[in-house]
Amino acid sequence: MTVQASRKARAVGAALLTLGTVAALAACSSGSNSSNTGTPASTGAGTSNASSTASGSGGTYNFWDPYPQYNATSDWTKLVESCGTRSGVTIKRTGYDTTALTTQALLAAQQGNAPDILLVDNPVVSTLAKAGALTTTAQNGLSTGEIATNILGAGVINGSTYGVPIGANTLALYYNPKILSQAGVNPASITSWSTLTAALAKVKAIGKTGITFSGINTEEGSFQFLPWFWGSGANLTNIDSPQAVAALTLWTTWLKDGYAPNSVIQDTQTTAWQEFQTGNVAFAENGTWQKATAAQMGAKVIQIPAENGGSAPVPTGGEFFTIPVQKDSSRYATSAKIVQCMSATDNIVKTDNTLNYIAPTKAGQQAQESADSSLSDWISAVGVAKARTGDNLGTKYPLISQQLWTAVQKAESGAATPSAALSAAQSAAAAAISKG
Amino acid sequence: MTTNAKAPAKRTQKRRAWHLTALGVLFTALMLFPVYWMINVSLTQAGNMRKSPPNLIPIDGTLDGYTVVLRQQLPYLGTSLLIGIGTVALTLILAAPAGYSLAKLRPRGGGLLSFLLLIAQMIPAIVMAFGFYAIYIKLGLLGSVWGLILADSTIAVPFGVLIFTAFMTRIPDELLQAAKIDGAGPLRTFGSIVLPVSRNAIVTVSLFAFLWAWSDFLFANTLDSGGSMQPITLGIYAYIGNNNQQWNAIMATAVVASVPAAVLLVLAQKYVAAGVTAGAVKD
Amino acid sequence: MTRSTESEAGAVNAAPAKRRQAKKNKAQQRKAQLAAWGFIAPVVIYLAAAYAYPLYRNIDLSIHSYTVTSFVTGNAPFAGFAEYTGIFKNATFAAALLNTTIFVFVSIAFQFAIGLALAVFFAKRFRLNTLLRALFLVPWLLPLLVSASTWSWMLNSDSGIVNAFLKAVGAAPIDWLTSPTWSLIAVLIANIWIGIPFNLVIMYSGLQSIPDDIFEAASIDGAGGWQRFWRITFPLLRPVSAITLLLGFVYTLKVFDIIWIMTRGGPATSSTTLAIWSYQLSFGSFLPDFSSAAAVGNVLIVVAFVFALVYIRARHRLETT
Repeated sequence: MTVQASRKARAVGAALLTLGTVAALAACSSGSNSSNTGTPASTGAGTSNASSTASGSGGTYNFWDPYPQYNATSDWTKLVESCGTRSGVTIKRTGYDTTALTTQALLAAQQGNAPDILLVDNPVVSTLAKAGALTTTAQNGLSTGEIATNILGAGVINGSTYGVPIGANTLALYYNPKILSQAGVNPASITSWSTLTAALAKVKAIGKTGITFSGINTEEGSFQFLPWFWGSGANLTNIDSPQAVAALTLWTTWLKDGYAPNSVIQDTQTTAWQEFQTGNVAFAENGTWQKATAAQMGAKVIQIPAENGGSAPVPTGGEFFTIPVQKDSSRYATSAKIVQCMSATDNIVKTDNTLNYIAPTKAGQQAQESADSSLSDWISAVGVAKARTGDNLGTKYPLISQQLWTAVQKAESGAATPSAALSAAQSAAAAAISKG
Repeated sequence: MTTNAKAPAKRTQKRRAWHLTALGVLFTALMLFPVYWMINVSLTQAGNMRKSPPNLIPIDGTLDGYTVVLRQQLPYLGTSLLIGIGTVALTLILAAPAGYSLAKLRPRGGGLLSFLLLIAQMIPAIVMAFGFYAIYIKLGLLGSVWGLILADSTIAVPFGVLIFTAFMTRIPDELLQAAKIDGAGPLRTFGSIVLPVSRNAIVTVSLFAFLWAWSDFLFANTLDSGGSMQPITLGIYAYIGNNNQQWNAIMATAVVASVPAAVLLVLAQKYVAAGVTAGAVKD
Repeated sequence: MTRSTESEAGAVNAAPAKRRQAKKNKAQQRKAQLAAWGFIAPVVIYLAAAYAYPLYRNIDLSIHSYTVTSFVTGNAPFAGFAEYTGIFKNATFAAALLNTTIFVFVSIAFQFAIGLALAVFFAKRFRLNTLLRALFLVPWLLPLLVSASTWSWMLNSDSGIVNAFLKAVGAAPIDWLTSPTWSLIAVLIANIWIGIPFNLVIMYSGLQSIPDDIFEAASIDGAGGWQRFWRITFPLLRPVSAITLLLGFVYTLKVFDIIWIMTRGGPATSSTTLAIWSYQLSFGSFLPDFSSAAAVGNVLIVVAFVFALVYIRARHRLETT
């Protein structure tokens, strides 16, 4: 090896060593911020616990949630930790990617490594309950009295309640007032599928795109399809009924006639929203969590119409607080205390405002509405919403949903007709249900 | 006479070289176009993300993505670097001696070992991750940097053994005989003769191991999601919420994450070039 | 008289000396084997700990019928081969097998050909050669989440740059990710792009190790560039090519991230491969079916295994000719 080359090799080695040292210092200095803040929450109408001044005196409790976008310095983490301190313990909070959280929770339950409090998307609750990984309110002492029944629905399986909601979100139809007035459409006139389709035709006539939604082959796709599915009168136990076919045909016709862009087949709710944000789309089916950005662009909201009039039933989104099974059952009392703290009206309103969810209790909703009157549309939407795992579907729902989104995508992409796609889906779902 | 004849030959050679450089730049530009696009997206505002047709250059751009990333992602970059270097070290420690042994020392069952190492590479990553999760809980390695180093090395070690074996086979036996005559034991021979001569193989294996560890997501997600030190592939998830994704920040993270690795790449490229695998790859 | 006794004495002395030598040789051999094993012992332990256990667990998962409940409690009924017959009968299996075959063979063919062509190109001397070659490896650095997302962005039906380009040159835009006919091609393009650096690096170093005099000899003989390549370079590259193709095969079989992020295996099953299906069954569902997922994973390993055997046979034949 030449002298030059060996000098270079040394340079590379030195660079690596320096980088390595810097890296170690950088990584270590950031450190873990999950340890307590030590200061009890100053808000709250309730009395503060005398023992709350001693942080960490009761041990460490693990808290998992699907909010990786909230880091250690965020308000959410501070709230979680303060509720821990109020209950006399230190909380170690971890944010996971929501799609991975189900399997992480199952793996953890299998290995005896489950967290003390687990916040999961509501359709997952029935899966974890079936796996025997969660405790019921009878076991953990959580009270659910004030929570609206339809929002609590996803946590009730076979008469036992396995969790309490953090809040609810749901879907509605955002619209761009400028485009509608240009096209000569009155939003108040949209009360049924035919009036909506007619409006879309008028929008296309002035050269704009009619509507965006998320038709992707994931739970998001099913979530977005459900208002139309339920709005036709169809039921999840029979996804190949004529009403279901009518709902799917509505979407495929929109695609064929160019009222919805081809990309809806691959769009997540975020990317569908981004298309709406370009200002060239009249309608966007999207959720509560976009209301802030919607206000920024001047978009307004109407309820999703059912086929023949009235508002379509919409699915509830939003996570549930659950208390997983632990070897040491004496921990449940403290975990329940922490959850109650986080669900106390003041705290839950703060949280739901941050997450852009609607509070699950009447008191919370009233507090939200008095602070922001534009929420009344959303509160009414949530009031008529229903859980996806409701109607006693429980763990059948994920199996049905998977077939449903597959059928929707098949029909949207032209791989099959709506009725063929849905009958294949129904048989596949039935087969999967009988196996499991 | 000869000098005159050489002069025009040299000129055509130089012209040819420039023509090749131009071609090379074109190929590289084509290959790196998606990378350029990534940078473009990282500078685009949320409202313009789905503009049709998209802007070729980020007109009306924003540095929001970068400010957020530089404020939040540096610790993650540090951890990634640590894991990368750790993986390289572990891979070299395991693979180099094994390569030497398979190449020169002819252990019994060496053929079977090579075959098993090939099989090992066929196991899908998810299967590995599941298995590791269970082991790590018992060993307390969940959420630790060491756990990730061990897991990431499983991507690189079999390949490393392959490269070292192929390379070291070509070390002339006379060199090793000379050491033996001088009274050097196998360890000494390995340390003072084989390793220095195998510098290119070492750099190549290090490069592969580092890059594979740097871009690993599956192991990080399964085994370190709750850890206090997380690599950059998990750091990106800070911008992927339940219902909302902040794409300019995600792409900005990728750009920032690529820079240190790209630098290492350019520095190490010369060594990778100078002959890694050649001749038969012995079993 | 003395001579014969000398030789007799010599003969008598020779036997124990030979035996001593034989013993010495054996001892030496044993020492050598010990040393050889000492060097590979760490890797053997590593193999057992890091690979054998996950593999064992996966096989265990696939021969029982696990539901989410029994996954947590651990008491699942023994299912023998039932999970496997289950996935073979499933309608998705045929599609996944076909897609996997197309995906793997087309990917490797293009990655290898382009990688080799670029390696030959970069073997020439010109300005900026080293820098450009290093830049070619940049796609490799990017986390797959980012590369796949970037390609999704570029191939979007309405706002993607590729369709914008097609429209600009007067061609019809293609629904890359949303059409059942094009989705597999879209992920193929992205995967080929990602695989080129690996092939380039290995083939380039393979080329570098061919001694220059062979090339010089060839050009003196008057062989043109193309002939030179096919008659001399390519045959000499055969062992390197073989290992590159085999590794490419094994790695491409496992490819998951790119397809998952770009199309999630859709629309319908048009871009579902065996790896995608396995993930769909486990992580991709709210009600995971771990046993089926494990079975699909094992099928993948078996397929790779069969091809490895084919490779070894082909290489033995190569070596003996």
